[in-house]
Amino acid sequence: MKEIICSSPFFGITLSIVAYSIGIWLNRKTRLAIFNPLLISYLIIIPLLYFLNIPLEWYNEGGDIINMFLSPATAVLAITVYRQRKLLKEHILAILAGTITGSLCSIIVVYLLAHLFGLSEEMTSSLIPKSITTPMAIAVSDSIGGIQSITVLSVIVTGTLGNIIGPTLIRIFRIKNEIAQGMALGASSHAVGTSRAIELGEIQGSLSSIALVMSGIITVILSLILFS
Amino acid sequence: MKILYQIAIIFALCLLGEVISTLLPFPFPSAITAMLLLLIALFTGVLRIDHIKEKSDFLLSNMAFFFIPAGVKVMENFNLIIPVWWQFLLIIIISTVLVFLVTAWSVSLVIRFEERRKAK
Repeated sequence: MKEIICSSPFFGITLSIVAYSIGIWLNRKTRLAIFNPLLISYLIIIPLLYFLNIPLEWYNEGGDIINMFLSPATAVLAITVYRQRKLLKEHILAILAGTITGSLCSIIVVYLLAHLFGLSEEMTSSLIPKSITTPMAIAVSDSIGGIQSITVLSVIVTGTLGNIIGPTLIRIFRIKNEIAQGMALGASSHAVGTSRAIELGEIQGSLSSIALVMSGIITVILSLILFS
Repeated sequence: MKILYQIAIIFALCLLGEVISTLLPFPFPSAITAMLLLLIALFTGVLRIDHIKEKSDFLLSNMAFFFIPAGVKVMENFNLIIPVWWQFLLIIIISTVLVFLVTAWSVSLVIRFEERRKAK
């Protein structure tokens, strides 16, 4: 009976939606970044599969169907850039400078620290794309020999961290320019950071979404040049 | 029917992205190829946003949901993460702060430079 229920694709999809809804609800209720809907979903699904002894392959019957939407979800990010084309044109130099230095900094710092700590090649490759949005990070991780799930975890932890500490960094380091605030949030902590940038203001939100797409593309290109 | 057309347009773009990425002489993620194709289509006017609006809004507003299964797979790799958990966290904290500051400073620098040039 357990196998009939849990190995159906409907099981994985329903469980994911229920867990995610609980995450969204908790996030809205508490308004705390640490209650990230994605993080909550993992804290519900992983222990549930583990303690009920449900094999990951059964969950993946449905999980793989959801996974199929990663590529379309990445593709439509083009729309967010297109909608901001005026700002993009106006500040193209600043945007390019910010995303190129930010992406380079991310790759170099992660690479050096991973070597300093003696992490394996696999682990290092999984961490390299940690600052960019999940579907792009998965794509980079795949092409340089990382482990998908570790990349996803590092991306989520990064996003949540940026979302929480972003405003504090802006205050401590006196980053007054709104364009710089938005770019920094988007480049360092992708979509989760962008959700915080939107709360700071419209300019911050728009530039953060531009930064998230641009740093994604630049990280893809840089990691191709540097690692393959 | 409308939403079906929109799904078809976006999936066709992804398919085209996969074909192009396989043909390229270097490994380039097909999702990014599809995104660049869509960007070109929008800027050249081949596609308008309202051709794909509802489906895109659905994907964009539920973005995080689609990452759930990819992350659940971490169950298989707990043995790799647990021995290096503090290195893992430290790398993330240090690099996130540095990327934030480097980006903010270089953007501020360029804007200040541009403003000074405009003022002249």
